[in-house]
Amino acid sequence: MTRVLPLEDALLRMQRDLKRALAKDPRQIRWGMVIDLSRCIGCHACTLGCVAENKLPPGVVYRVVVEEEMGHYPMVRWRFVPRPCLHCQNPPCTKVCPVHATYSDEQGVVRVDYNKCIGCRYCLVACPYAARTSDFGERYTNDTPELPGKLFGRRAAFAGYEQRLSAEYGRRWPDRNGGSPFGNARKCHFCLHRLKVGMLPACVTSCIGRATIFGDRTDPESLIFEALGSPRLFRLKEELGTQPAVYYLK
Amino acid sequence: MNDNRYYKILVGLAVAGLIIGTWGVANVILYGKRATALGSYVPWGLWVAVYLFFLGLTAGAFLITILTYVFRVKIFAPIGPLSAFTVLVAITCEVIIISFDLGHFSRVWRFVVNPGWTSMIFWMGVFTNAMIIIYALELYFLLRRNLVEGAQREGTPARWLYRLLSFGKTEFTEADHVADHRRVRLLSIISLPVGLIFYGINGAIFAILLNRPIWNGALTPLLFIVTALLSGGALTTFLTYIFKIDDALVHYLGHVIRFLLVVFLFLEALQFFVGYKTGMVINRASLDIIAFGPYWWVFWVVHILLGSAVPLYLLSFRHESAHAVAAACFLIIITFIAVRLNFVIPDQAVYKLEGLEATFYHWRLRTDQYFPNLNEWLVSLWVFSLGLLAFMLGSRYLPIVSAGKGEAHHVEA
Ligand code: SF4
Ligand code: SF4
Repeated sequence: MTRVLPLEDALLRMQRDLKRALAKDPRQIRWGMVIDLSRCIGCHACTLGCVAENKLPPGVVYRVVVEEEMGHYPMVRWRFVPRPCLHCQNPPCTKVCPVHATYSDEQGVVRVDYNKCIGCRYCLVACPYAARTSDFGERYTNDTPELPGKLFGRRAAFAGYEQRLSAEYGRRWPDRNGGSPFGNARKCHFCLHRLKVGMLPACVTSCIGRATIFGDRTDPESLIFEALGSPRLFRLKEELGTQPAVYYLK
Repeated sequence: MNDNRYYKILVGLAVAGLIIGTWGVANVILYGKRATALGSYVPWGLWVAVYLFFLGLTAGAFLITILTYVFRVKIFAPIGPLSAFTVLVAITCEVIIISFDLGHFSRVWRFVVNPGWTSMIFWMGVFTNAMIIIYALELYFLLRRNLVEGAQREGTPARWLYRLLSFGKTEFTEADHVADHRRVRLLSIISLPVGLIFYGINGAIFAILLNRPIWNGALTPLLFIVTALLSGGALTTFLTYIFKIDDALVHYLGHVIRFLLVVFLFLEALQFFVGYKTGMVINRASLDIIAFGPYWWVFWVVHILLGSAVPLYLLSFRHESAHAVAAACFLIIITFIAVRLNFVIPDQAVYKLEGLEATFYHWRLRTDQYFPNLNEWLVSLWVFSLGLLAFMLGSRYLPIVSAGKGEAHHVEA
């Protein structure tokens, strides 16, 4: 019996790739992402999947889908460019952090240590891709009225979404002592907490065009390895020398 | 300024500013950064501009002490203590306003525990502390004789403070005086490289950033040094006039300020020239925001007309009059916040990724909508008022003006 379906969903293959990667020596893994722009239909499902996964408050977003209009009328078309943190291998954001709160881990993921971050926002201005946002402590339920009943109203909404803990970096947030991540710099972390338990990042599973390919870049059997060989491959603002681990296919 | 009436008015203003500003301070303490109009695409706003403003004011003492004690230009000696005191007040305000800007001020201890050696902000912290230490010691040694003598004299206002700061010393000999001056000279010599690096590093915070058309470049640290000297020098000149120390000195300082203003304007013109000539959209867009954006008048009216052209005229054609020189310096100082705002905001006010403005709407994810809100202005007012109050009380109860008298004789000691 063959293990590969003739027309299997890319998610299934990536799931297998992930399992294989997790069985490796963690120091050998290099996580990466390839986003196929020809497959992205601009539905923003990845943005929302990420928001819901990480319980992001208003004004904080990890993965936006940038819409670009190309050409001149009547020869116009849209191009959709999802932009998570690109996990640069030469990241300008980590070098500017005065307290080492943000750093690249051994698997190439650029992290933020929420309990170390002093909230100076230097990394925000240093990121050339505007991939970082600051948590200003906004809440969807701020200034909303309380209504009677258990289903509607501020308290119900608060309990339903805003009080739910996010599991970023494998911990529970918000932190009860320091209040993190309020006041912190926040950004995409490749859903490390999901990877740890064998799940693909939320943006990958929610992508209905299957435009987002994720995996260990060093695994020759993986889908991402295959995609990295494409002649359509490019990286955003390559000239800056940031060497993102997130690639794009034209 | 010895005039009691002015003193009372200024102290009154400072107290009123503190009371009014408390509203903003309380909001920021209660609600954190939510109480500001900052966003993620314009994460640095008014407070960073005010921080840079105070940074500039600290350079006055740097200029004076270097000229006096390193290059032995005796004429500036009488304002040594005053300018050293000004630097301490300004640097304290600088630290306070930037503390408000941090998302987690309670974690500043991490600077010591997890130093980010590659970060310019880390080095800014190191050199800010170095400057505070240098100038606190310098001021102390400049004042020590007056402190000891004042502690012994009946009727000295706030005599307990003099006693406290004398640390038990009851006699002050000429030998002590000579020794203190040697220390001051040594500290001034140390402050030359430390100060240059301090101002340069503050420029480098911005200069090293990629994809930042106005900030990025080798010119920025140099511009920071010149702007600091200009605004700090202007403040010192203005204070020399206000405290009626010596009109001839105001006249000399006027020449220095005119030179610095011309150099600054030249560098600024270079920045515009190179920026526009690159032809890069992002460079032009940022510069356009300064010159032709919704706040064009901040650049043309406040900075160019009131902060540059009028002072330049006064310093060039009316430089014989101490009054005119002081007016020119006053204009330079008060319009300097415009220079700082025009440095900090426009670079951030251009989307760095094409199309970003049309995606994921939230007002904290806009570049074109930042305007400081009431809380930000009130906190700034609070810090300015605190600085003014500290300055007024210090100038009244510490011998910072009297200690400068006769100082010139000791410069070569
Ligand atoms: S995209 Fe921005 S935040 Fe992400 S690693 Fe690169 S510089 Fe840092
Ligand atoms: S905001 Fe936090 S992570 Fe970013 S540079 Fe400042 S301390 Fe570091």
